[in-house]
Amino acid sequence: MSETPRQITLQEWDRQVEFWQAAGVPQPAYGGPLGRHAADGDTRLLQLRYDNSRAALRLWNFLLTEEDRLRAAREAGRKLVGTMKDLGTVPVLAYSLDNLVAFYPDGAWWIPCVMEVNSGLLQIADSLGVDESFCPVRAMLGAFVTGAHFPIPDLLTCSVGATCDDFSAIAQRLSGLGHPILWWEIPHRRIPDPGEEATELPGGFSAPASLVRFVRSELERLRRALEELSGQTLDDDTLRRGIVQANHVRALLARLRDLAFTATPCPMPALEMLIAEMLAIHFCSDQDETIVVLQELLGEVTLRVAAGTGYSPADAARIFWVNPVADLQVMNLLEDCGGRICGTEYLFAHALDPIPETVPPLEALAQMALADPMVGSTTDRATRIVAEIRRFGAEAVIVSRIPGASHCALEGEIIGELVRAECGLPVLEIEVPPLTDALRPTLSTRLQALVETVKNRRNR
Amino acid sequence: MYTCPYVPAQWIAAHGLQPHRLIPAPIEGASTIPRIEGLCPYARAFANDAAAGVEVTGIVLTTACDQMRRVFDLLVHRIETPAFLLNVPSTWQTVAAPRLYLDELKRLGRFLVRLGGREPSKEELARIMLDATASHPRDEDGVHGIPCGCGSGAPVAVVGGPLMQRDRVLFDIVHECGGRIVLDATETGQRSLPAPFDRRRLTDDPLLELAQVYFQIPDVSRRPNGELYRWLAAELPRAGARGVILHHYVWCDKWHAEFERLKEWAHLPMLRLDSEGRGEMDSPRVRNRIHAFVETLR
Repeated sequence: MSETPRQITLQEWDRQVEFWQAAGVPQPAYGGPLGRHAADGDTRLLQLRYDNSRAALRLWNFLLTEEDRLRAAREAGRKLVGTMKDLGTVPVLAYSLDNLVAFYPDGAWWIPCVMEVNSGLLQIADSLGVDESFCPVRAMLGAFVTGAHFPIPDLLTCSVGATCDDFSAIAQRLSGLGHPILWWEIPHRRIPDPGEEATELPGGFSAPASLVRFVRSELERLRRALEELSGQTLDDDTLRRGIVQANHVRALLARLRDLAFTATPCPMPALEMLIAEMLAIHFCSDQDETIVVLQELLGEVTLRVAAGTGYSPADAARIFWVNPVADLQVMNLLEDCGGRICGTEYLFAHALDPIPETVPPLEALAQMALADPMVGSTTDRATRIVAEIRRFGAEAVIVSRIPGASHCALEGEIIGELVRAECGLPVLEIEVPPLTDALRPTLSTRLQALVETVKNRRNR
Repeated sequence: MYTCPYVPAQWIAAHGLQPHRLIPAPIEGASTIPRIEGLCPYARAFANDAAAGVEVTGIVLTTACDQMRRVFDLLVHRIETPAFLLNVPSTWQTVAAPRLYLDELKRLGRFLVRLGGREPSKEELARIMLDATASHPRDEDGVHGIPCGCGSGAPVAVVGGPLMQRDRVLFDIVHECGGRIVLDATETGQRSLPAPFDRRRLTDDPLLELAQVYFQIPDVSRRPNGELYRWLAAELPRAGARGVILHHYVWCDKWHAEFERLKEWAHLPMLRLDSEGRGEMDSPRVRNRIHAFVETLR
């Protein structure tokens, strides 16, 4: 276990790394001071506060070196697959083949935050007619135009159907710019009609068996495309091994979340937990290393819980957080305001559930894709949120709106209604743009008010 | 009641129910969905109008637009009128996509029966489809008339999503500014009309023919949406359009994102009109913009 848990600045981290380097403490190949990323333009890192464990340092370095990994993979002759609007399905297929690397171009949505809007990506999106009325994921368009943040993939896939309009529109714009896309359909998940054959999905939802068959046929198309790209056969046994490996990641994350969201004091800050959860979607371009990173993080958290160490205050308000934030600093802010995270639904709860291993592998992936909370009704999503609130003992809910995202216009209202009705908890809806500096006083006030409300309710 | 063009009116009529394509007129102060940042005004107006509708047996929405998909979620909580969400695939090149649409129409049929409709015979459906082919489709669904293209004004095409009732004034303003709309390629215009039914296929399997024809309606929501451009490539020169007005509502991402691409593709002067759905098409500002645009086309 590292020293007493505390949040440190990037400068403190760099001094610590310098000390370790001088002492010969081994680090991964991608390790080193975080300050080098800030010097490369990721200036938001200077404003964040980080957990002081080696495991957290490894997590950050792993996240911030993805582009290097992608370029190295290409140089090594591996093919790159960009999996757009895909929260955990195609990467499982791709990583089953040893010469493919899948990544998540949508991840560019954090570039405006991390580079504090100095990357020029949003301006490029503006010039292409995709302005600030769209979700910050429009930064992806700029990243494709500049080619500066990730290599242009050899194959680009995008799920459409029951997805948000803004991303679908952005992807179509990308296609119009000459980037061929393999579109695959993820239909809206509906409740099976009475008497209709139904399939229970991971996470507890159910869907008509016909829809599962439909998605399976779409995944067959993807399988063939990946086979063609890799020159290898992606048979069921190979895919089954890929699923087992993906489940390993999910199991690690499940244990990590259980500990981080339930232990008192809180053993790992919200920001590191957000990054850790994101690894489940696409493995940050290296599935094996993802496992190592998560194992180390889990080891640290386990030791902290056993030692009873963590973050204060011990009476922090237990918050369930809905949707990822465009500005990472807001996760620090929550803790500054006296809150802690006790449960999350960052749009990809299904990517944290184990993929069934007892059914044919493509069927299992089809079930998993249909379990995506965003492809069903908001009521379904809210139902799952309510279950997780109860599981983790959250005392309030924050619905964090993503500016311009089509799902955010109405979902907060539905989620709020259900949470209030079922749990009787306070719900706060906020909007988090890529940089919240100008909004910080307002956001702080709102978060503090929520925390106070939670604490007052304890005394009733 | 429905608004999306992928809902076949003939299928509803064949069940003995009266199809009504709702072209909403925004109700000020309506509270089913209060004005919310980020919400498409058309989706909001549809929800408010649908909720206020009396003597409506059922409401049909589709997944062609994510905002309408989510409006469905809200409607089922807020109103007692049964609502149905028709899954319209975005992709279209596979065998499975139109098959899914056909299955969805069958499911819609079961919903209509539950509402009190009757299961139609093949013959009855075929007859209704033939009648629709013979009559002017505009007459029965109440959407905008096909522009006559007559007159001497500068020929303009209007492209975009659906137009609300009040935004129909756009046609008059173009005329008053010295132009004439020769192609209505909005969702409530010619573009969303189904192609004529094939009489032979209609006799063999009318529902299959209905599904095939409706599934081919070109729309911005399709991925890829190349069929929309193919349709425009045929219709813009046929209509003789010398300029294009793209109309969309704020927060309508799909049409909003298409403007620059359409401009690059069309090689025609273009004017973009984005609307908050509050009748601002009739504002002096919009009128001036249209006037200036039409002048450049002369």
